Amino acid sequence: MDPMPARKLLLRLRVANPATLWGTFALLALLPLLIHNDYYLNILTICLIYAALASTWNLMVGYAGILSFGHQAFYGLGAYFSAIITIHLGVSPWLGLPLGGLFAALLSLAIGIPCLRLRIAPYIAIATLAFSEILLVICKNWVSLTRGEMGLSGIPPLTSFRLGDFLTLNFGSGSKVPNYYVMLGIYILAMLAMYWLMNSKVGLALKSLREDQDAAASLGVDITRYKLIAFLISSFFAGVTGAFYAHYLSILTPESVFSVGEMVEVVAITLVGGIGTFLGPTLGAFTLIVGLELLRGLEDYRFMIYGAMLVIVVLLLPNGLLMGFHRSVTRIKGLLQFGKTK
Amino acid sequence: MFTLPIMIEQAVNGLVLGSMYALVATGLTLIWGTMKMLNFAHGEFYMLGGFGTYFGLMILGLPPWLVVPIAVFLIFIIAFILEKSIISPLMGKPGWDISTVVATLGAGIFLQNFAFKFWGGDFLNVPYMFDGVLRIWGMAFAWHRLYILALTLVVIITFWQIVKRTRFGLALRATAQDNEAAILMGIPFRRIYTITFGLSASLAALAGSALAPIFSVNPWMGMVPLIKALIVVILGGLGSFTGAILGGFILGLCESFSVLFLSSGWKDLISFSLLIIILVIKPSGLFGAKEW
Repeated sequence: MDPMPARKLLLRLRVANPATLWGTFALLALLPLLIHNDYYLNILTICLIYAALASTWNLMVGYAGILSFGHQAFYGLGAYFSAIITIHLGVSPWLGLPLGGLFAALLSLAIGIPCLRLRIAPYIAIATLAFSEILLVICKNWVSLTRGEMGLSGIPPLTSFRLGDFLTLNFGSGSKVPNYYVMLGIYILAMLAMYWLMNSKVGLALKSLREDQDAAASLGVDITRYKLIAFLISSFFAGVTGAFYAHYLSILTPESVFSVGEMVEVVAITLVGGIGTFLGPTLGAFTLIVGLELLRGLEDYRFMIYGAMLVIVVLLLPNGLLMGFHRSVTRIKGLLQFGKTK
Repeated sequence: MFTLPIMIEQAVNGLVLGSMYALVATGLTLIWGTMKMLNFAHGEFYMLGGFGTYFGLMILGLPPWLVVPIAVFLIFIIAFILEKSIISPLMGKPGWDISTVVATLGAGIFLQNFAFKFWGGDFLNVPYMFDGVLRIWGMAFAWHRLYILALTLVVIITFWQIVKRTRFGLALRATAQDNEAAILMGIPFRRIYTITFGLSASLAALAGSALAPIFSVNPWMGMVPLIKALIVVILGGLGSFTGAILGGFILGLCESFSVLFLSSGWKDLISFSLLIIILVIKPSGLFGAKEW
């Protein structure tokens, strides 16, 4: 029995099936029951932050074909907006999360609209990168609002609330589990929104755009509108994730959110996991962030090995871990069946 | 404040800065033109050029005229090996346009942290290769800055001649114009790719070497030139040779004159805003040429 050709796999995997999706959610929801260590939970929460960021970036690049290199801009906008309105205006951090997302989505139009006119991928990449660098410069220099490079500190954590009579959920610095579940909630909402999008008419239009823009346009697909929808959903959830990050860490510096390093991380995660696959970025986030933690013992060699690993992964599995995983599963299945017929 | 001598001095500073941008951007545009990929490890070749110069001058005590060619040649070899081992296996395979991005990002992270681990994170100072200043009409120009300008001009003209006159240049242009037709004509495009990658890295290394005395040497010094060079190649039109050079000098001059009326913190806004404005007005870049 021949292993399934790669091309067929690629088409089948573009959108995950509901069972895999809900299975992943369930697995992620069970993790805190198995792991009680605060340090590990912190790492898992960071994994979820990057999983959400990489998945929303994947929507923009893998599905809508907008090669953005400015995803950190939306992340940072959400983080700073929510931090500033909760500190200065006393808005509840719970309200800060969606408002941070809305603010990011609103400002994303400033770069999104000019970008949609560009057709060559690197131009879009550099224009979006320039947008986020502009925000970094503003953030560093508008000291009266953002305190510049000193950064904002004392950002209020998510306010605690009572659940029933005897359970109170705290979100202060010591309570990792509730924060993990909040981030999981944001992640699941983002994934469901994207899942809904991909299975709707918009999703079909997006897929046709990625395959061939001109053919899609000639069939009457409104390119600009669908790209804009993907752009807005992506930047909204990146903003919400940023807002969560601000309240979770309670300190915020321009470089921690707006730096190119964040973007490199998101790109590496998505590509290692598998770009254009629905759950690839999540797999990539957990693999790379946990992997980087495991390398911590190597001290200065850590990032050297990390860089080398990126190269090795891409050489061995150019389509990402998820595709590589699926291919080996099919191959093993093929071998087993071959054994049976014999 | 806006007297003529100050303006001329700023212009020279801008041209020096611009020559760095032009050299680094030419390398980027060269790779894009032939291989249709963006090299995110490009800034690291600039960094290696800086370190090579530091070691040659300060540790081994060699004269500058020996250090610069040796450093540039060594980096050509490093880039050559890198292309053979990690870029070449990915080229032409499905998804190569994205997998090469990760490969070069990974190589960049590796090289940065290699430098950090073995050479340390200190800001290392390199002395001017040419001492003294030239004084004319009450203005002072450091000889080293003039050397950078002259070097850039010589390199650009030489490079231009190679591309236009030699057989290698012909093969390069053919591959850039139409890869498949070039293969049919029997051009060994793999070898062209490898040599192009090496040449592009050498240009970045040369810029890093020449500018080491002006900006100090450290493992992260390649970041800023890479981002600036990306802006330059877009300004000039991606794949355009003239665009990269003129774009480099334009950006250098803009930044240098902006210091006169903007505080240095806001200086970077100029280049990024310029880029977005150009893309909105003329999406194909200033010189939008597709051939060179």
